[in-house]
Order: sequence, then C-alpha cells, then structure tokens
Amino acid sequence: MDKYKSVFDIIGPIMIGPSSSHTAGAVAIGRVGHILAGGVPSRADIHYYDSFARTHSGHGTDYAIISGLLGFAPDDPRVPDAIGIARRQGMELTFHEEDEPSPIDHPNTAVLDLQGPAGRVIYAACSIGGGTIEVRRINLDGCLITPPGLLPILLVELDESANDAGRRLERIRDLLREEGVTKQTRYEPDGPAGMAVYEFDLDNPLSAQQQKQIAGHSSRMIYID
Amino acid sequence: MFTSIAELVSMAEERGSSISEVAIDEEVRRSHQTREHIWARMAKNLQVMQAAVARGSQGDGVFSKTGLSGGQAALLEHYRKTRTSLSGDAILQAVEAAMATNEVNAAMGIICATPTAGSSGTLPGVLTVLKNRLGLDDDGLIRCLFTAGAFGLVTANKAMISGATGGCQAEVGSASGMAAAAAVEGAGGDPDACAQAFAIAMSNLLGLVCDPVAGLVEVPCVNRNAIGTANALIAADIALSGGVSRIPPDEVIAAMKSIGESMPSSLRETGIGGLAGTPTGKRFRRTVFGK
Repeated sequence: MDKYKSVFDIIGPIMIGPSSSHTAGAVAIGRVGHILAGGVPSRADIHYYDSFARTHSGHGTDYAIISGLLGFAPDDPRVPDAIGIARRQGMELTFHEEDEPSPIDHPNTAVLDLQGPAGRVIYAACSIGGGTIEVRRINLDGCLITPPGLLPILLVELDESANDAGRRLERIRDLLREEGVTKQTRYEPDGPAGMAVYEFDLDNPLSAQQQKQIAGHSSRMIYID
Repeated sequence: MFTSIAELVSMAEERGSSISEVAIDEEVRRSHQTREHIWARMAKNLQVMQAAVARGSQGDGVFSKTGLSGGQAALLEHYRKTRTSLSGDAILQAVEAAMATNEVNAAMGIICATPTAGSSGTLPGVLTVLKNRLGLDDDGLIRCLFTAGAFGLVTANKAMISGATGGCQAEVGSASGMAAAAAVEGAGGDPDACAQAFAIAMSNLLGLVCDPVAGLVEVPCVNRNAIGTANALIAADIALSGGVSRIPPDEVIAAMKSIGESMPSSLRETGIGGLAGTPTGKRFRRTVFGK
C-alpha cells in the first residue's frame, strides 16, 4: 500500500518554513483536530514524542499545530502568529515533551487531547515526511478507532436500530466504490444502544458532492483528508 | 501507478513518451481532475519556487530570526558577477538559487516543499540552470517538476523522505536524485538516462546524516542544498554523456532505506549528534533556546 499517492505529496505543499514534517505536517495534524473537534477547540493539550519532543521549538511545531487547530492552511501568513491568535480567542494550551517512546511507533508523533464544539477527542498522529501525515488512533467520546493511518479517512455514525440502516450502509458503500476502500471497520461506541461507527480508509479523495450524499445517509459523518 | 523506477521507465518507453507525461497521466487518473487543473497546480508550485529564489537573492538577502543563517545567496550573487569563480557560472547560479530558497525557508518565508522544506532548494537550483542556460520556458520547467515528482513518489513509497526516519540522504539525497532526473528530461535525455542520473545523484549522497544545529533547519541544511543541486547537475551531465549507474536505481533506493534504518536516532533530526553535538553546535542551542 503506497503511503504517497499524489505527485503533489512530493512537489508541495506550498508552506511557511522551516520544516515540512515538523511545520507543514504539524499544521496537517492540527487540522485533523479541527475536523474531529467540530471546529476551534477551547482546550488543547499537546504531547510530543521522540524527534518532535526534541526539536519542536526549533521547527515551529507548536505554532504549526495550533494553526491547524484554528483551521489555517500551511501557507497562511498567520501561521507563525497562531499561538497568540489562539490565546486571544481563549484557547487553553499546554505542550508536553514526553520521554517514553511514541505510542504509535514513529519518531514524529504528537498526541492531542482536545475539548471542542463536538465534545472531547484524543488522537495520535505522526508526520511521515514532506508534509504527509498518518492518523493511527482516534478516541472519539470514548470510542477507540484505530485506522491504518493514511488519509483520507471517513467515519460514519449509523443508528443500526433504525429499519433502513442496512439500506443506508449499502448506499454509502455504493458511493465509495470508485474511491477504493482499502479497509472497513465497524466499532460500537459506548452510549445509546444500536449506534455504530464505521471507519472507511480510502485510496482517493471524496468530492464535496460525495461527502454531502454520505452525510445525508448517516447520523454523523467525519471526513478527514 | 508505478511502484518502481524500472516500471516508471518501461511505462514511458512503452508509450513512447516522457517520464513527465506518465506522471501527469497517473495524476489525472487518480485524482479525477482535469489535466488543465493539475497543470495549473504545478504552475503555482513553480511560481512559489521562483518567488523564493528571487526573494533570497535580492539586495542583502534574507536572514533567519536566530541569526544562524541568511545572506549567503546574496553574497554569491555579488561574487559570481564580480569575480572569476572556480566552479563556473552555471553551477553557481544553481547554488545561489538553492541557498536563496533555503534561507527564505529558515526565515519562515513561503516555499514549496520538494520533497521536503529542508531540501526545498535543490530542485529550484537545477530549474534555474535549465531556464538560464538551456532556455526552457515555464511549460518546460513545469514538465520537469512532474518528472521530479514521479521519481520522488517511488523513493517516498519504497524508502523514506524525512530526516527523522532516514537522515539527510532521504531529504537532500532524494531531492538531488529527483532534480538530476528532471534535468536530464529538461535537457532532452530519454527516460532511461533520467533514471541513471537519479541513481548516480542519490548514490553520491548515501549515508548523509540529519544533524541540524539546535534542531533548526539552518545549519547545515542551507549548505547541504548547495551540494544537492550541484551534485544533481553533475549526475545529469554524466548520464547525458552516456554514463550509467552500475547499481540499478531501485537498488540504490533500497540501499538508502537500509542505511536510513541503521542510522542511530541521534543522527536523525533530533539535533543531538553530528554537527549539532559539537561544542559550537551545543553553544548555538544554548544561545537560541537558553538550554
């Protein structure tokens, strides 16, 4: 399974320096948090491991991750000022340099614990080089999701107690057929009985139209690309 | 999608086309976007690269906040215009463009990662020569970026492109190989000559460690891009003259991976070993971060 799929993963991204893995990749890791938390979080605790723990200050990893949490792109001129911008918006921030090995076995690892508009989420991501990232653990309201890592990842929540749940799932699978589902996993979160979360790992990105259609068939959809 | 250099070259040969054409076709197929859209996106990357080169070479140049890097591209520009250089103007134009780009990167300016930010100067250095010496227009340079991207994709998927996993050989080494292949296509060489240039350039930088002083992408990264770009031009000339790499490109990539995996963590972008661990390197860390 190829980690890098597009020629633009190699030539690109256009970004604010100085490091593609520790700055542009860190913006991408933060952006995942923005998506998972349902917007700008009110609290962010950021834990660094290995190379990230040793060099985050020199590579601008702190402001890069916060830029992503704020929803900025890697080439947004506000990237270097993101920490001040976040604090002025009332975001509570802590950074931790961890000594133990990465929980997801990669030298450029960050674990983020966020409180956001959609609730609490904890996730572990790593920056594998050139600005490309992997998300290997997502704890969404107590439900632990463990994707292989590469984006795009689609999470779909379905109420399986509903009569048409099977039909809805079929529709979603139809919509995804062309985008190369490399893995599909079903999880049962704590909480109301009958709810299930489906993780789809995709080869190709989804269009806005596809995302809208899938959202229409599910109780909640999170698309990370 | 091509998964090896051998496959990439044979796809181009079977279609009677260039490596860049294979890369464009594959991108269109995967992304469901039009050729025009993809071309425009690469044109934007080229524009950003050229803007960074211009910014870093103008006037006194740019300087990082830490004071560890900056101004060297501007010094080179003055030097090559007022003195008879040892390396010759083509090499020095490439070196100047490469250093300008990495100085802009260290100063937190806008650059295009190729394949990474730390190695972002290597390819623009080569493009500068293709433009100024061989007269390639923007369309020709955009093609070269697709060629470079195709070689980089195989390298990234078969080995690695981050200093934290493979050392500088994975960053500047990969960039230099990509740039050498691009230069050969830009100069009219065939797909196999592109692959030979790639293998020669990467072989020359095998074993290079990632030892950034104070963990910053400044020392030795700016100078390493100077050597990455010069090495790419030399490898491209060797291949264009008919020279070949005795070790096939895919095996060179495999060697890069195995060397990267056996490098200690202190030499993989932790700012601990190598130049970062010298007395002066440590003193810079204390000056910049107070620890």
